[in-house]
This record gives sequence, structure tokens and C-alpha cells, in this order.
Amino acid sequence: MAIGLTWNIDDADHMTQGEIYGEVLTRLGSENPKIVALTADLAGSTKIGAFQKKHADRFFNFGIMETNMMGWASGLAESGLIPVVSTFAAFAALRCAEHVRTDICYNKRNVKIIATHSGTSFGPAGTTHHCTEDLAVMRAIAGMTVIVPADAFETAKATAAVIAHDGPCYVRIGRSFEPPLWKNLDFDWEIGKAIQLREGTDCTVIACGPSVLEACDASDRAKARGLAVRVLDMHTIKPLDKDAVVRALMDTRRIITAEDHNVLGGLGSAVAEVIAESGKGCVLRRLGMQDRFSPHGSPEDLQHMHKIDADGIEETIAEVMKTDFEADEDWEDEV
Amino acid sequence: MDADRLKSTLYLRCALPLAKVLRTEHPQVFDKLYYKMNAVVQFCVKGDDELGTRLVFYDGALDVEFGVNRRDATLVFEFATHEGLNGFFAGKMGGAYLPKITPLYRLDIVLRVLPLLLELKILDPNNIPKTPYWQGLKVKMVLYMITAALSQLNKSGHEDMRHWTQMQPERVYQWTVENGGPAAYLRVKAGKTKSGRGSYTRRRPFVHMIFPDIPGAFMVLTNQAPLVEAVSKGFVRTEGAMEYSKDIGTFMQTIETMLR
Repeated sequence: MAIGLTWNIDDADHMTQGEIYGEVLTRLGSENPKIVALTADLAGSTKIGAFQKKHADRFFNFGIMETNMMGWASGLAESGLIPVVSTFAAFAALRCAEHVRTDICYNKRNVKIIATHSGTSFGPAGTTHHCTEDLAVMRAIAGMTVIVPADAFETAKATAAVIAHDGPCYVRIGRSFEPPLWKNLDFDWEIGKAIQLREGTDCTVIACGPSVLEACDASDRAKARGLAVRVLDMHTIKPLDKDAVVRALMDTRRIITAEDHNVLGGLGSAVAEVIAESGKGCVLRRLGMQDRFSPHGSPEDLQHMHKIDADGIEETIAEVMKTDFEADEDWEDEV
Repeated sequence: MDADRLKSTLYLRCALPLAKVLRTEHPQVFDKLYYKMNAVVQFCVKGDDELGTRLVFYDGALDVEFGVNRRDATLVFEFATHEGLNGFFAGKMGGAYLPKITPLYRLDIVLRVLPLLLELKILDPNNIPKTPYWQGLKVKMVLYMITAALSQLNKSGHEDMRHWTQMQPERVYQWTVENGGPAAYLRVKAGKTKSGRGSYTRRRPFVHMIFPDIPGAFMVLTNQAPLVEAVSKGFVRTEGAMEYSKDIGTFMQTIETMLR
């Protein structure tokens, strides 16, 4: 996973998640001539434009024709190239859903969709530009790998990983003002393998995207109150790291999911499916948009409103710790 | 809380119930002794109608119940005071420590129950068995007694223990002897406690004290190896929240001091 990257926390201070993504893609493009980049009039916003400057002959701007772009990406993949498509998540996942499904996934085409401005990260642009359904849509398409990096460093790792991965991938990143979780690239990251960032047996918070950092903050606050809260960075929504979920279930019996997404169909649903199939009892709370659209506002305010910031997660930890479950309330000593 | 009553609680609810373990462990002795025996043997203190333990024999099998019901007991061991009961279970001799046994005509039951009570002397801290079998049995019984005593300390309202348990969400403190040895646990949740035997499987222990084998566990649980030495020699290791294992150690010492 080395890919010759040398960023550290200082770079993350002046390079956004999208910029690092653009930079990584450009470098990978230098190493691999099969990589081609596609966008729909959003080269600047999605930062894929960095690729254009270096590899103009392998860069295609389709104008405001996202669905057409997906069809082209499928064709380019069929010819042996590795198309990397970047546009806003609302367009990539919702407007292009049929084309991603039928042109790309049904044909098992090796296309990489790097969707930016996901969740409520483009909060001030309003609800039409939010994307809080993409994980549900993409997760439901057969053969699609779905990844939500927690910060710029994970985005760098994810970009390299999906290029190396054979098959369609959907990588969901933010608008690029997300604070860094990691200090450098010196950590293991693998598609489908959750990362345990905090140890704990009282409760587990499973988070993805910017919610991971918030979950870590909430865990640290809870620790000061004597609680040991495990945090899992579930960067891959599909294939989900079921073993990590079951371990968390068996070890802590109280699970909170946090995602900048509708609670229906995304990370929370994926975790709930694993828990339900395990046959084990558990207290589960899914944080995110509670089956509603988000109003416009700054991402920080919206995260607070939807309780996916450290305050909301901390409050939910306190709530689930008080929750009883099953008929496990026999307090007579065994004799 | 009255210190003597608390001590009686530990004897009646933590030590005496272990007679059931002995009954099960030694079928070669007790199957014959209790063949088809049906009787209820009540242990209690005069004037205390709440604190009591009943050994219930049904067709030779033994069960243990808590509570006092002198009327339906086949045999009643009633101590004049809690101090007297404590002295009796500590092995002290003398009239002040002997219970009143009624009805006296059931001497046959007395004679059949006494061997079981005498085997409980294995819990005496000064009783250091020499054979591996008895050492293993002592380890098992001490683990069961420790966890029960910690829970009863809480249930009896011991101030420090109450404060400690009330501050905690649901947690499990587990003691395990590896390689098929005995295990016991203490569940804690917001002021409530439950002691149990075996491994708690519904969640991972918050603190897990692990003994690699019976000899190591025996050295630690009979205080033949001080804790620091025991850790350095690998007789015991702890996984989980160390600061809470220290708290547990303090409460175990409190119990030990009480029963000495």
C-alpha cells in the first residue's frame, strides 16, 4: 500500500481531502498508464482536475451529462482501461443510479467512482446538493464495493486500494473541509477490514467518514467518566467487516452506529443486518438522519443536529449504557 | 451495618452453599450417605427471620435456598447470636458457638449432615491441602466463594462496595483457571451484582483474572505467593482495566479480614 506517498499532518493542514485525492490519483496515473479520469464539469470542485494538468490526454470532461459519463466509463473499462469517475455524490449515486447499476455493475466493469460532497458536507448548498442516500443505493447494487474514508489519509489509501482492486468501486468523500483523523500514512488499511481506534468493553461505536473522528472524541470524553468505549472505523461498508461487528457485539453488547447518511440503508442498516443474523441480543442505536432530509446549514451544525458529532454520540453512549435488554436481569447469586 | 451480621451473611450465603459443590464432587461418599434422603436443614440465628440458609435434600440430591422457615424444616440449627454462628463456622469450640438443634430426635439427620459440614473446612484459610485433587477443589470453592462474597458484600450494603458498584455500567469481572479449570464471575450493573459460576459468555469481561493452571491459582488464592511475586512468576495475569482489578483486590482483602 506504500505507493510512494509521503504526506504527513502538515500537508493535511493545507491540503483538503479532495486535494489529497487528486494528488494521489495524479501520482497513480504516472505509474499506471491505464488510469483515465472522467468528470462532468466538476474538475475543480472534485479536485480530479489535478490529474488533468499532468495527464491531459487521459482526462475527459463530459459537461453536465453524468449519466452519459457513466456509460462511457463502462466502455472505457471494457477496453482495458481503469476509469476513475468523479462528481458530486448526489449526481453519481442518485442521478446515475441506473447507469451505475446496468452499465457498470451488471457488466462487472472495472470502474472507480470517487464521489465528493457526500452526506451533508456540502451543507450550505442545500438539501438538493446533500447526499444522504448514496450508501443505501450503492450497497444494494450487486458487485459494488462501497468505501467511506474517514479523512484525507484514508482517502489516499482508499484511492490506491480501489485502483488495485478488480471490480466496480464507490468511494464516498466529503467536500474537503473535514479535519484529519490520522497524522500520516503510517497505518494499515485494507478494503473490508475495520480499524479499531479505541479499546473498550462497555459499548462500541461503529462509524464511517467524518463521524469516526467524532466517535473517537466521544470515546475519550466517556473515558474521563470511567467508561471504556470501543471505536471501530468501518471505512468499508461493503463488504462489511462482519467479524469486527460480531466481536463488538459479543464483547460489548451495546452498539452505536454513526454516519453522515440516512439511518436507513447505510452503515447502521448493514451493522443491524449482521447483528440480526448473529442471533445474539444487543442494544443498537443508529445515528444519522432519522429518515428525513437535512436542512441547509454548516456541516458542523448539521452534524450536531443529527447527533453525529461528539456531543450527540456521547449523549447516546450515556443513553445506551442505561438500557436493559433481554431477560438478563436476574440478580440472584448462583448457588 | 452490623459487622457480625455481615459476617454471618458471608458464611450463610457464600460458604455454606458450597456444600452443594461438595455433594456433587464426592458422589462416592454422599450418594450412599444421602440415598433417597428427603429433608430440609435450616441454618439461622435466633431473632433473625431473614438471614438463613436451607440445605434441601430431595431424593438424595442437594439444593440450597436462602431464607428462614423454621416450621417446615426437618432439622433446625439455630444459633443464639450472629457471633455464635460466626464462631461455629470459623471452627471455634465452646458452648457459645454451638447451635440449638431441633428436634433432637432427628439425630439421624444430624449425623448425616455433619460429614458435609466438616468437608467445608477446606475453605479455612489455614487449611492447605497437599494433594492435587484437593488443591483443585479448594481453588474451585475459593473462586465460587470470592465471587459470592463480593456480591453479598454489595447486597448487604457495605458502603464502599455499594459506592463502587453504583458507579458502574454493566460489567463483568471474570476469574478463570485455564486449561479446563474452574471459573467464576461477578456481574455488576449500576448498584446491582450477581455472582455466577463458569465463564460469562454474553459479553467480554471488563477485568479478567487468568490463572494458567491449578497450581498457580492455588498459590495465589491461598496467599502462598504475594501478588507481585505471583504476577512475576506467571501464576496470574490480568486483562482489562487494571485500576478496577486493584479495587476488586481491595474488596477481596476486606472479605478475607472479616472472615479471619
